[in-house]
Amino acid sequence: MVERYPTAIPPRALDYTGAIMPQLMPDEAELTAGLRIVPGRTYGFFTDTSLCIGCKACEVACKEWNALPAANLGLTGESYDNTAALSATTWRHVAFVEQISAGGARVTAMQPYQSNWLMMSDVCKHCERAGCLEACPTGSLFRTEFGTVVVQQDICNGCGYCVPACPFGVITTSEVDGKAHKCTLCYDRMKGGLEPACAKACPTDSIQFGELGELQGRAERRLATLHERGVANASLYGAPGTPGTTGGIGPLHAFFLLLDRPERYGLPVAPTLPSRRVRPAILAGLATMAGIALAAAATFMGEKK
Amino acid sequence: MSEPTERSPYGRRKRRGGDDATNADSPRGSRLYRGETYYGRPAIKPSHWGWLIAGYYFVGGLAGGAQVVAAVADLIAPGRDRTIVRAGRYLSLAGLLASPPLLIADLQTPARFYNMLRIIRPTSPMSIGSWILTVFGLFTSLTALAQGIEDLTGSATARRVARWSGLPAAASGMLMATYTGALSTATSVPLWAAVPRALPTLFGLASTASSLAAIALVAEAAEANEETHWRIERLSLLVGLGELAAHAAILRAWHMRGVAGPLESPALSALHKFGMVGLGAIVPTAIHAAQQLTGRRTRAGTIGAATATLAGIFIERVVIVFAGNESARRPTDYLRFTQPRGGATIQCASKGNDESA
Repeated sequence: MVERYPTAIPPRALDYTGAIMPQLMPDEAELTAGLRIVPGRTYGFFTDTSLCIGCKACEVACKEWNALPAANLGLTGESYDNTAALSATTWRHVAFVEQISAGGARVTAMQPYQSNWLMMSDVCKHCERAGCLEACPTGSLFRTEFGTVVVQQDICNGCGYCVPACPFGVITTSEVDGKAHKCTLCYDRMKGGLEPACAKACPTDSIQFGELGELQGRAERRLATLHERGVANASLYGAPGTPGTTGGIGPLHAFFLLLDRPERYGLPVAPTLPSRRVRPAILAGLATMAGIALAAAATFMGEKK
Repeated sequence: MSEPTERSPYGRRKRRGGDDATNADSPRGSRLYRGETYYGRPAIKPSHWGWLIAGYYFVGGLAGGAQVVAAVADLIAPGRDRTIVRAGRYLSLAGLLASPPLLIADLQTPARFYNMLRIIRPTSPMSIGSWILTVFGLFTSLTALAQGIEDLTGSATARRVARWSGLPAAASGMLMATYTGALSTATSVPLWAAVPRALPTLFGLASTASSLAAIALVAEAAEANEETHWRIERLSLLVGLGELAAHAAILRAWHMRGVAGPLESPALSALHKFGMVGLGAIVPTAIHAAQQLTGRRTRAGTIGAATATLAGIFIERVVIVFAGNESARRPTDYLRFTQPRGGATIQCASKGNDESA
């Protein structure tokens, strides 16, 4: 994509030609992702699954940078998946969807691009209004200056309420330390001017990091291009007005271009923000108790002793 | 299925080879969900809640309901049903004292329990509940303390303090008895999220029923006068009838939203039918109704109804917690539950394979 990879080498890159860099390259994201990371702006991921080759470099880069242990060294047998799901120690999960075996018949026709084997690198969606953040009673989960959602493990007390609250099944508590963990969109790297590890490692640019508005425009253009080329079932998930943004959740800061219906990747089409149910639930409860109190008053008033 | 067929819902021709991937796009997302999942893996994560939280739902609800009953009895006819007021206040204290240990033991980093009071977050029933428990604990302790002084010394001042502090205790008790329903429903778990109003309603009725059952047992032990017994009986009957209606309503809602699956597993199904609904509502309500209609109250009847209520409502808490966790583990429940409703149109990948669910 021309907008991300200028053909000429950026002059600033020539300052660091040695095998070992003398220091951290300032604003390295400018060279790898084509932008400077500025606090106060909203950043995110656009994961274009039509480009994913299932190499799992993102999983490895994530685990390397964030010092996360491997959970499963074997394969699940579910195609080439070995991490199976997002967890406290897996913040990028590459899903493999094989579209070849249902009904027992072999497929003869194939879609352009990716044929019948779909790969998708799943990640925390860093929702505009995040169920986990809104559920957190300690303030451990917070919204960063980059518009992302991050857990502060030094505050988390492991109440675990964020876990069932997440509409996408992302955040999980760890049995090792009893705290909640999930993707931070490489908060530490962004503070140092670096592109998140998974996006930097992605060899096909399936994972793209950037400012959210810019990414959304890029995704629209990519979708139009794919439709033009005959990939009819390409669709966006998590971009404004698309599935995943329903029920008060709003645009997902990590959003996707999918090639099959969202459920095939385990994603809900129209999830809702859990906190929307707080007010009706509290009011219904209070109304019930008020009714009971009235019934009690009537009963106790009853006949005099 | 293996023959190419034509699909018309969106007015487009589509070739379908077997389980094809040759899809055309659809203009709208609200098409039939056929049970597609990612290898049957859960689409959301279950809570880690178990016996401790079920236990807290039970004792916390009992404490809240008891405070409400005590306050109403004290206000309506001061000095008459002393047994109800006294039992309500002491039971409330007992339930309160049992609550924090259960909650703290459930934390995965219990040493940091005090972080619960670090912020106030109105979007989080967990945060709201922590503050409710704090306020309720304060006034319930004060009320029980004043009640204790009154019982020991007969002090009129203590009686007045108990009456006044009993009001905020009862107000926060109303929240104690029901907010756990909000706590459950404000998650993504289908079984809980499908009933945002019915669950707190059921919880409020169940909490009060358990309080009344406990009060009835104390009144029986304290050999309260017959009129007091009859008033507990009558209120228990009313609450029990409410519970029956709430059980019917919530079950209907679960079936309508297609999330009742977890209650069909043998263990949970039995606990739901015989424990939660049977012991918790049908048996005690039948006993209360029979005693009311015949005009004869027996010690065995009252004790039997109260014991069944307490057992049934504890089972109810257990069923709700464990069935909820099971619900979260069922991807088809969640992915069906999160299909667009009411003609909502969302642009979406048209479809994938056409395996029949």
